[in-house]
Amino acid sequence: MELGTRVTGTTGKTEARAQLWKRFKKQKTLHLFVGLGMIFLLVFAYTPMFGILMAFKQYSISTGIKGIFTSEWVGLKHFKEFFNDYQFGMIVRNTLVLSLLKVFFAFPAPILLAILLSEVKNAQFKRFVQTVSYLPHFISWVVVAGIAFAFLSTDVGMVNKALLGLGLIDKPLDVLTNPNYFWGFATGSAVWKEMGWWTIIFLAAIAGINPSLYEAAQIDGAGRLARIRHITFPGMKGTIVVVLILTIGSILGGGLVGSNFEQAFLFGNSINNPTSEIVQTYAFKVGLRDGRFSYAAAIDLIQSVISVILIFSSNYIAKRTSGSSLF
Amino acid sequence: MNRNKGKKALLLSLILMMTIALMSACGGNNNNDGQKENAGAANPSETSSEPPAKNNEVKELSLFIDASWYPVKEWKGSVAEKITEKTGIKLKVTVATDDKQLPLMIASGDLPDLVFTYANIDRMSDSKLSYPWNELIEKYAPDFKIDPTRIAIHTMDDGNFYTVRNSFATQEEMAQNKYSLGSDGNPGIAVREDILKELGNPPIDTIDNFVKVLGMVKQKYPDMVPLIMDKDWIEQYFLQQFGVEGLLDGWYERDGKVDYAIRQPEMLEFFKFMNRLYREGDILAENFAYTNDQIDDQYATSGKAFAHSHTVSIADMDNIKVKNAGGSYTFQMLPSAISKNAKAVSSGLGFAGTFITKKNKDPEASIKFLQYLASDEGKKLTMFGVEGEHWTWNDEGYPNLKYDPSDADFVNTNGIKWWYLYNDGVTEGMLSYVPGAQKTKALMEKKEFTVYKPELGLIQLQPDSEEKTIKTKIDEMIKNEKVKIYLAKSEEEAVANYETMVKNAEKIGLDRLVDWANQTYQKKKDLFNK
Repeated sequence: MELGTRVTGTTGKTEARAQLWKRFKKQKTLHLFVGLGMIFLLVFAYTPMFGILMAFKQYSISTGIKGIFTSEWVGLKHFKEFFNDYQFGMIVRNTLVLSLLKVFFAFPAPILLAILLSEVKNAQFKRFVQTVSYLPHFISWVVVAGIAFAFLSTDVGMVNKALLGLGLIDKPLDVLTNPNYFWGFATGSAVWKEMGWWTIIFLAAIAGINPSLYEAAQIDGAGRLARIRHITFPGMKGTIVVVLILTIGSILGGGLVGSNFEQAFLFGNSINNPTSEIVQTYAFKVGLRDGRFSYAAAIDLIQSVISVILIFSSNYIAKRTSGSSLF
Repeated sequence: MNRNKGKKALLLSLILMMTIALMSACGGNNNNDGQKENAGAANPSETSSEPPAKNNEVKELSLFIDASWYPVKEWKGSVAEKITEKTGIKLKVTVATDDKQLPLMIASGDLPDLVFTYANIDRMSDSKLSYPWNELIEKYAPDFKIDPTRIAIHTMDDGNFYTVRNSFATQEEMAQNKYSLGSDGNPGIAVREDILKELGNPPIDTIDNFVKVLGMVKQKYPDMVPLIMDKDWIEQYFLQQFGVEGLLDGWYERDGKVDYAIRQPEMLEFFKFMNRLYREGDILAENFAYTNDQIDDQYATSGKAFAHSHTVSIADMDNIKVKNAGGSYTFQMLPSAISKNAKAVSSGLGFAGTFITKKNKDPEASIKFLQYLASDEGKKLTMFGVEGEHWTWNDEGYPNLKYDPSDADFVNTNGIKWWYLYNDGVTEGMLSYVPGAQKTKALMEKKEFTVYKPELGLIQLQPDSEEKTIKTKIDEMIKNEKVKIYLAKSEEEAVANYETMVKNAEKIGLDRLVDWANQTYQKKKDLFNK
């Protein structure tokens, strides 16, 4: 009796294993793809993570990679230093404000554009708008910075010259240097650059909605706005939630439009510094320019921890409230 | 339902793909940058144990110049050729794209054979990165003699010296050579001669009068910028006029005690003045945001600016450019002193130095190369050009130059001066002695009111020390805060911002830094009092 069960047990296990192997073989192409991604993450995301050790040590670059392990432990010294920095409040505020502004404005923008586009009946016009709106995505920020200077510089900027010439303003607008303009300019340019790109996803979501729903609604007397509200919008909800979670996870980098660092780095200067210095640029400066890798690692680690907390909590909230979530 | 699920999966994967595309686009760029940098820098793994070449064989060493503005980018021109002929060494030159490139190269270990830097002398003076010159000299070039003051200045705490800066001369050396005037690296302001004439040649003999003239320009030519400043030469000229002894990130000495420059009593007057310039509309706010040192030149040479702040050679340089472009106006230098308080303290230990890195494939050839540059012949060759072709020696004690040293195009294409990987302030100072040139006059005036305090320059911080961190943080803070003072809306606001800046510095640890500086100063000042 005992023996019998054991025998069936093992055969069951081997059978299961054989089946697993069979399934695996069937999906081998897919596994190959996943495997590549895993290797990528392992090499470029997980392996370098041992560098985090630096944040708790007095590391000097001249000791090389080995120095990461051999240098002296200093505990939370670097973290304390950052919290006590005279600019700490300002830098954190700038990072948060810029990130929140981007989520607030850049997240709904592609959704609205997608809904608007889906209502356009003229296919040619629709395609034209779509192309024009997603093209800026392919311009690098460095180029955007150059263009911005040519347009907005107080002295040689085209926009300022035109406005002055038309008599609409009597003093050139110092968009690029005045600290009061930085947040607005950064948010606006990010929306302009990435809106069309993200619209593609939402358009795809809308395309997946069964057309018969619209027909039925129309017969029942639903107007255009009612159709958007009761059919288009609920149909996009899953996509919206997923994109929102991804956005919140990368919120400190600028959310789905990203580019907090690029903007602060390229458009930041010593005049608008009070609003343009963010955690990433600060870490970059102290790390690479001053060569204080430990301190920079500590600063970045704080930011990563905040990001991890944000992504887990937003995922949890999404799961509780809407039922769809990332994991 | 099933169909919807499939759609959902499709959508999800689309989202992921787009996110990855977004990220990998950035990643891709980074990789490319890295590769470019590597390609530009040396190839350190290559032939590290190459046997010393024979005399007639030209050897190539790689050189990284840590100065993005460097005017010569390639080892060519008659001076470079002559040096190669004399030493059998050719340099493969890479000029930095920005000030972070060398720190990055140090971090990644991709150092070339030689590094020429001024901003990272502390960091490169490290036995893990560079060969000490004293060891190499002892081993390969025992007849390479360097005077004891220069060695003392550059000796680090470990007892080694890793470089010797160029452009340095002691007070005695300068006094002995009356034709040695100092380098181009002295501040100066050029103004438009024609406009000055149209305004009736008002005198510019005080700071107030200068501001008055700027105001007149603004009134008469509202489209013109009264004063445009090179991004690296904004403060220096005016600091000297107010008698501030040093730059914003330097030290000053009074009654045997040193303190940080921002706490000098004269400093507040300087800041009030700069703020006044801004409030009266004589300078552009944008000027403080320039990241490119060509913008000011364009203003000046395209006739859009009245005064141009740069170095003592700026009038000569602008005039040549204007003339080449077919313009008809000329610039003239303001006197080096337009104030009774004018004072220049030379605490300089020189400008930049060459390091022989640990990745160097031939340290012997490298030190011998520097030894040649340090010889009298080598110094004159790099500084003046090829003897006979470019200059002849005047028995008075200076070279009769056959070209105009302010003609940047000629100087750069021939490689004159800029290969001064080793040189000294006396030889360099003679290049400025061109009877009749505006620069010569400005520098002679400047020599009059220059005080030498090289012992201040010896307050040098060791890399990775606590004090170094404090100083870096204070300097960075000053860089941010000073603009707020310059661009304040009223004088009261400027003064308040100045006080905030000093308070911030104290919060970061200024007092501790000053204590340390005083200790170092007391220890090291005897080097010069022998």
